This record gives sequence, structure tokens and C-alpha cells, in this order.
Amino acid sequence: MTQRHSTRGAWLIILASLIAGAICVYDYYTPETGLIGTGGVELVAGAAALMLLASLVLAMVPSRSGLLQGFLVVSILLDIIGSSVAGYFLESPIIMAAEALALIGWLMNVIGDAADRSVEIDDVED
Amino acid sequence: MSKIKTLTIGALGFAAAAAVTLLPMNHATAQGPNNDPPQVWDAFGGNQQAQKYSTATQITPDNVKGLKKAWDIHTGDVSSGAHATTWGATPLFANNTVYTGTPRYNIFALEPDTGKMKWKYAANGSKGDENQGLKNRGVAYWAASNPAAGQPCQKMVYVGNMIGQLHGVDADTGKPCAGFGKGGVVDVNAWLTTNAKWKIGLIQPPAVYKDTLILGWAGNDWVYKTENPGTVYGIDARTGALKWTFNIIPSDMLNQTGTANVWAGISVDPETGLAFLPVSSPSPNYYGGDRLKEMPYVTSTTAVNAETGEVKWSRQEIHHDIWDLDINSAPTLVDLNKNGQKIPALVQATKMGFLFVLNRNTGEPIYPIEERPYPASDVKGEVAAKTQPYVPLPEPTVADTTPPVSTLADITSFGECSRWKARIRDEGRYTPPSLRGSVSYPATVGGVEWGGGAVDPTTGTYVVNSDSVVQVYTLVPRAEADKKYGNALRAKDGYAAQQGSAYGFKLENFLNMWGMPCWTPPYGNLLSYDLNTGKLNWKKPFGQVQKWGFYMPESWGSVTIGAPVITKSGLVFIGASMDSRVRAIDLKSGNVLWKAIVDAPAVAQPAVYTYKGKQYVVFAAGGNGILTPRLSDQLVAFALPN
Repeated sequence: MTQRHSTRGAWLIILASLIAGAICVYDYYTPETGLIGTGGVELVAGAAALMLLASLVLAMVPSRSGLLQGFLVVSILLDIIGSSVAGYFLESPIIMAAEALALIGWLMNVIGDAADRSVEIDDVED
Repeated sequence: MSKIKTLTIGALGFAAAAAVTLLPMNHATAQGPNNDPPQVWDAFGGNQQAQKYSTATQITPDNVKGLKKAWDIHTGDVSSGAHATTWGATPLFANNTVYTGTPRYNIFALEPDTGKMKWKYAANGSKGDENQGLKNRGVAYWAASNPAAGQPCQKMVYVGNMIGQLHGVDADTGKPCAGFGKGGVVDVNAWLTTNAKWKIGLIQPPAVYKDTLILGWAGNDWVYKTENPGTVYGIDARTGALKWTFNIIPSDMLNQTGTANVWAGISVDPETGLAFLPVSSPSPNYYGGDRLKEMPYVTSTTAVNAETGEVKWSRQEIHHDIWDLDINSAPTLVDLNKNGQKIPALVQATKMGFLFVLNRNTGEPIYPIEERPYPASDVKGEVAAKTQPYVPLPEPTVADTTPPVSTLADITSFGECSRWKARIRDEGRYTPPSLRGSVSYPATVGGVEWGGGAVDPTTGTYVVNSDSVVQVYTLVPRAEADKKYGNALRAKDGYAAQQGSAYGFKLENFLNMWGMPCWTPPYGNLLSYDLNTGKLNWKKPFGQVQKWGFYMPESWGSVTIGAPVITKSGLVFIGASMDSRVRAIDLKSGNVLWKAIVDAPAVAQPAVYTYKGKQYVVFAAGGNGILTPRLSDQLVAFALPN
């Protein structure tokens, strides 16, 4: 059963995933980064692509099932955590900053969604 | 550790008040204004004494953070796969020019402040028949003491190739010197006719003393019982004529063994004219049952007259080597003072992690060397030496016992590491090879690799990088080897044939199924010693392992190939690590003060020079497949911004 969910923060996650993806492309092809052609960068790039897809769904499909909402929220959080750890070991502060941005977006979305749900519940009780 | 100290404490007294004096540094001048003569770096080790020391003081611990890339070039000489390049060159700075050789045997002459090419010489030696791959450690430079005015080739640059040819060109123009060999090429390979199983590799540029080049060569180890026997040549620097040959293996052993060659750098004392040769191990490297007779010059440091090849002294640093623990780096020459008396010394760093500090005029130890008992071989036909030289002071760079199994690697491989360790023979240092497999620690990669250490001759501070690597070697009986591998000389699983001997062998890195080291880190350290006392100043994990782009913790260190240099201002510059970074380190504390990323691991020591009042530090970032697959052709110079 679908219901409306918050789209708040989704655009921030989209922005963060685009930044992470762009920096991955730069790192992958630039010798000075020390990460040229490395599997670790490919991994983060893949994670950024998945995050982009998930956050696009968050932004563009406000009416979605609770199951899908839960899947997206958990997936994006795992993506953020994994990419942050990867960014740490890649010694890439920009990737870590992008993930911090994504985390802010994720929190905005989760808190916003909870707030919206709370208002709906309050409405029913009234 | 305390045992080592206890055993050696009595030997410390004579060195307690020692100070160090400068060896002649006649080619180095103080840095100064633009019209001052530049400080040169005219030999692989900075000077012929292999000190790797620069008196330049512009870059200091206080300002090194501001170091920026001044220029870089890409030589174009890089390839991977079957013809992978291994470029461990230290560029030279002489004749107001930066010179470097490449793994495809080109010589580049560059402007020292811009990297712009002055000329390029193509030796054209590569025909794809190099049996040891495409390798180069740079070039040598010679200048006539009495140059003939207006004549070419009064200053020459030499590059060797991997098919045994030495090319000599004019240092000003890059044109071949017609009077050197045949049209500028000496076919050194042609001089070696006994058991000539393969073409010799002239990886390491020759040492230079007056008008003599002292040249060793690299061999194709592990594949035959009898191989090209080790020889060192004295060559006329002008004509390429052979002046002398030093045969390392006794003539009556030539049908039993081979190699024991000098493939690493050679150092020269300009005062005495002695050349110091680090002699490698004999073939077959991991089974010595057919070569039990004493061969005094193998695995030794040997001093010869640079102009005649006559042996002055020799000190064997490992007896009856069955671990391929070549003596593998140019001895570093430095004068020590004891109670005001000058002691002409050398430091021989080794794969075993021992630092032999010897009187370079006599070969006698300055710090005591003990003969310690080691385990017997359990392999039929093999007789391991009952004792081996042990150097308690300076403290060895690696421990005597194998590092414990890594819990992380063991858990993630479901106990693979500990099960493997339980199967094999491990009695620490000098555990003989066996049929069930033996731990090799320190392994054939060291300990200290071929770069050796650097010394500040004004203080006696000696800095060296050292690896902590565990390998496993397993002898394979001939019948079994022939059945499994046929006539193959090598196989991808680490097998090498040692054809003609009773055993082939397999050498494997002690890694788990995921490629993680099964032993505990650190995998590499940087160490500083006070040679006046033999005491360790500091020891720190050095570099970082990088896998799939991920950097492992700094406390793990990195396996290293390459070497440090020291500057008078109190800095150590070094590449060497797996993470393709170059670093500046505080000589006093060992702390990293600056680092930069280059295109591949810089697997030789950098060169330091001054030109027009500016100090440059130049690295060849060539990489080495032993460390990582990342290879490059980048030569990069760093300097402070204007």
C-alpha cells in the first residue's frame, strides 16, 4: 500500500552522489591522486551510482510503499557508511565530505518523513 | 633485544666518544648565489663512496612543507605484461645536466631547472631477448682529469643494457664515443664464455675511479645449477678496453655452481683506490649439496684494487648460502673517529638485516661479529653451515624470529595462515630449506634491499629502510619436479628449476587466500643509527601498503625497494614504498614532514642537487612489479617555490 513520503533531503543526496561520482572519475584518471585505475575508486563510483538511483526515487516518487521506503532509507544509509569508510581508506577527504553531505540529506529525509507521519497520526487522533 | 644488548655492551666502549669526519667530498660545493658552482650528484649513491648525502641546506625541516613539483617528464619507456619495465634509476647531476637512463636503454640529458631535453641517446639494444626483463638503474658519469681541448668524449655517460652491452656517449652531445669499444659499444657479454647460459644484465651503472670503470652484472638466478660465474671487470673509461677481471668462483668449482656475481652498486674509496664489491650468492641458490667446498669470496664484501682487480681483503658475511641472501648493496663509506683517531669504515647493509661495520682498509670488524650456531638441514645431500656470522651491534634491522601469524589474516582465511605455518619448518633465522617447506625470514627480498643506507658523514648518523617479509620455500625433488613441470625453468606458482641439481624449489609469499600477509606488521621500517656508538636512534614503520587504492594504517608500514638520502639540513628524502609516495622525514625524530604522490613507487634513492642557487630533489618513479603492478616513466623534480 503506497503512501506519500517525504522528499526532503533527497536532492542533497543526489548532489552528494554526483559529487562523489565526479571525484571518482577524476581520481580514476589522474595520476597525481594516487588512485588512478584502482578498484577502490571503482567501488565508490558504483556506490555513488546506486545512491544516485535510490535518491532519485526518493525525490521523484513521493508515493511509495513503506517497504520501498524502508529499503531505500536503509540502502542509502549503508551506501553512505560504506562509501565513507572507503573514502577514509582511500584518503580522499572530498569523498568523505560528499558522504557527510549525503548523510545530512538522509537525516533530513528520515526526520522529515517521521515528522510528516507524526502530523498524519496527530490528525487522525484529532 | 636485551640479550643482544647484553652480548654487545662490552664492545661499545671504544666507540662511545667517536665522532665522524668527512670523507673527501671534492665534487661537492656549498650552495650559494646563482653564480656559485652547483652541487653535483655524479654517481648512483651521490658520490663514489655511496654516502647518499648532500650538503645542500636550502630545504630544511622548517620549510619542507612548501616543497612543490618543479618539473617532470615522461620518458616514454614503460611497459607492462611480458616485457614489463623495472626502472630503479637514480638520476645524476653533473656537467650542469641531469642524466638518466631508462629500461629501454635510452639516455636522457635534461636541463636541471626545467627538465627540458638537451639530447637523447638511443642505445637500441632491446630486441626482446632480454631474459631478465627490461631493467635499468641509471647511468654512470666520467670526466677526464686531463681533458684534451676541443676533443669529444672528454666527459662521458655510460648506460648498460640487459644483453650485456655497455654504451659510452659524449656527455655534452649524446653522440656515441667512437673510441669506446666498437663505435661506442662494449660487448661485455662476449667476455664471459664459461657456462654462458644467458646474457648478462648490466642493470647497475659502473663505479668510476680515475680512468677505470668497475662493472658487475646481474644474472638470471634460480634456473640452473651451473650458470655464468660471477665476474667483475675493470674497464678503461676512454676506450672500453678490459683492464682486469676478478673471478669470484674458484676455477675448480665452475662445473658445480655459478653466479655469485656483483649485481648491486660498487663503492670506491678515492683516497686508497679500493673498490668494494657486494658479492651475491652462488647457484643453485636454495640447494648447496653440490657446492659444499668453501668459496671464500661468495656472499662477501670484497675489497679490490680499482685499477688492477687485486684482492686486498674479503669478508664472507654468510657461509654456504642456501637462502639466496645475496650481499646486495654498495657499502657506504664513512670515517669514524675513536678517541681522536680516524677509523676508515664502511657499512655493509644486508638482506639479513645485519649492518656489518668494517674497517675498509683491512676488513676487520669495528663492532664484534659473532659466529652463532644455526639449525642443520634435513635434506639429503645438503649440509648447512653449522654457524653463521651474527652482528649484534648495530642492532639488526629485522628480528631473529619470524613474526607471529596475523590474527586478522588468519580469521579472514578461516585459519589458513596458522594451518600453513604449522605444516612448515620454522626455526627463525637461517632455517634451512626443506621438502615440507621452510620459513624464509628474513626473506630473499630483505632485510635491506639493494639501495642500502645513507650516512651523514658529519655526525655518523646512518639511515636505512628495511623490509619484514615472510616467504616459504619448498624444495622439490628432481623426479617430482620433472614430472610436474617438465623442462620449464620457472612456473607461475613460484617454481624455479635449478636444472642440473637434485632439487628444484618453490618460493611463495606467506599470504592467505585473499592476498593478505599472514604475518603481523609492520612490513617495513625506516631506521636511524648512530655509527659512533652503534646504537639505534629510532625505528619507525615506513610507508603505507596500498591495495585497490585503499591505504592501510601507517603503523603497518610498507615493503620498500629503494633507499634514503640525507641532507645537511637534517632531512631524509625517500620514495621506496608501495603507496607511490615520496617523503621528507626529520632526521632527528623520524617524523614525516612532507609527502607527495608520484606516478609509481620511486624504487631508487632520489638525487639532490643545486643549480642556480636552487635545491632540487629528483625521483625516478618507475615502479617495480615486486611491489605493485603500477609502473611509470616519470622523472619528477621537487623544489621550493621562488
